[in-house]
Amino acid sequence: MSDKRLKVIIAKPGLDGHDRGVKVVARALVEAGMEVVYLGLRQTPESIVRAAVEEDADVIGLSVLSGAHLANFRRVKELMNDAGIGGRLLTGGGIIPAGDQDELCALGIGRLFGPGDELQSIVDYIKAWDAGRRP
Amino acid sequence: MNPTDDAQFVLPPGLWEDFLSGGRLACARLISLIENEPFARTEIRDRLLPRPGGAVRIGVTGPPGVGKSTLTAALARRALDENHAVGIIAVDPTSPFTGGAFLGDRVRMHSLIGDPRVFIRSMAARDGRGGLSSAAPDAADILDAFGMDRIFIETLGVGQAELDVMTCADVLALVLQPGTGDAIQTLKAGIIETADLIIVNKTDMPGADDLLESLRFLFDSAGAAGKRNAPLLCSASAVEGRGLDEVWTALEGLIVRDRETGRLREKRRARLEGEIRTAISGSLWERYVALAGGTADIALLAERLSREGGSPYPFIRKECGRIKLVRDGRPELPPKKKE
Repeated sequence: MSDKRLKVIIAKPGLDGHDRGVKVVARALVEAGMEVVYLGLRQTPESIVRAAVEEDADVIGLSVLSGAHLANFRRVKELMNDAGIGGRLLTGGGIIPAGDQDELCALGIGRLFGPGDELQSIVDYIKAWDAGRRP
Repeated sequence: MNPTDDAQFVLPPGLWEDFLSGGRLACARLISLIENEPFARTEIRDRLLPRPGGAVRIGVTGPPGVGKSTLTAALARRALDENHAVGIIAVDPTSPFTGGAFLGDRVRMHSLIGDPRVFIRSMAARDGRGGLSSAAPDAADILDAFGMDRIFIETLGVGQAELDVMTCADVLALVLQPGTGDAIQTLKAGIIETADLIIVNKTDMPGADDLLESLRFLFDSAGAAGKRNAPLLCSASAVEGRGLDEVWTALEGLIVRDRETGRLREKRRARLEGEIRTAISGSLWERYVALAGGTADIALLAERLSREGGSPYPFIRKECGRIKLVRDGRPELPPKKKE
């Protein structure tokens, strides 16, 4: 019997030092039985995707509170495609205006969460994505 | 896991070829298969051919928070400077309640990312109770076949007796820090006896000299008793970057010494013997469960004994008495006649 557990990379790209929220999210995913690889602050899109490849991660979650979400999510998605992991889930959260969310969604990036969203909704979203990709 | 039933697992098409041609994702996926699919291990193990020379496996162990990841990153940097390709397997604990894990060792290894000669893999310990994931030795084999020639295997934060890394590593470094107990602690048996190299980290904190002194006393007195080789002692402050070159030199010196004395080969032999024993006992257990039609009887007995007390051994003797090993259709050992 397979002992597959969801492996999630959690990172903060760029020069954004606010990591309290992302740590809370990481803990919630651990509580939900996932294996969370926490990369921490000041990551580059390259370092994030490199880690995702080596960890064979199912999900990448980015926290962006700096306003640089468009550039960061786009670049990570591009690099994921190049690395052959374009089919894995790229999701995340931060202060991301609705218009920008639509733009990122059109690029194949998953749901983005913001202030006020329940932790459980993040867990449920990842689990539903995982259930949906199984044959 | 039943090694005779390897037909139950088939590698995804193209994965092995991608791995052989240096595919980083293929290497990562093989490690995941070992972690997740009980039958993948024998299939992958059968394909891993020994490389001439082969990687040296450096175990890094020690209590939580002493600086294992930071030191591993610093030593990996020095290995890269000497043109080694470096694999790192970093294990962190799995929650016994949720099965989840927070794997945070990469935070300390950021400086290594971007160098194509490094492959870092975090692993949750899952069912491993000896400080490692049970998949860690196989992951080291995979990184070895991938071309890494220095493989660091970092345990989760250990206490006194998580010893799996002792068999998994060729050379074992134990990291300690000042302020974690008096000289009595260093006299106790366990991990402290197994290290080839003891690194006292955080010498920027008070108490480092006391710890070094009590370690020297410990190994001088053990040496006087004429037992094992005393480990090398080093001190460092990883955050301040002090003492790290000395640690690296000591480590490489140990590798050269152990290669010359044949100790590296002996370690590999012992590791293979352990792997064979574990695989056979695992396979016999699987067969027993199949023969007994599951483990329900064991659960029932445990339930009854927990209520009423009593010894489990009458049941164990009866069950083990039912097992007859047969080779070529004949009993391997004729049953002993009662006198």
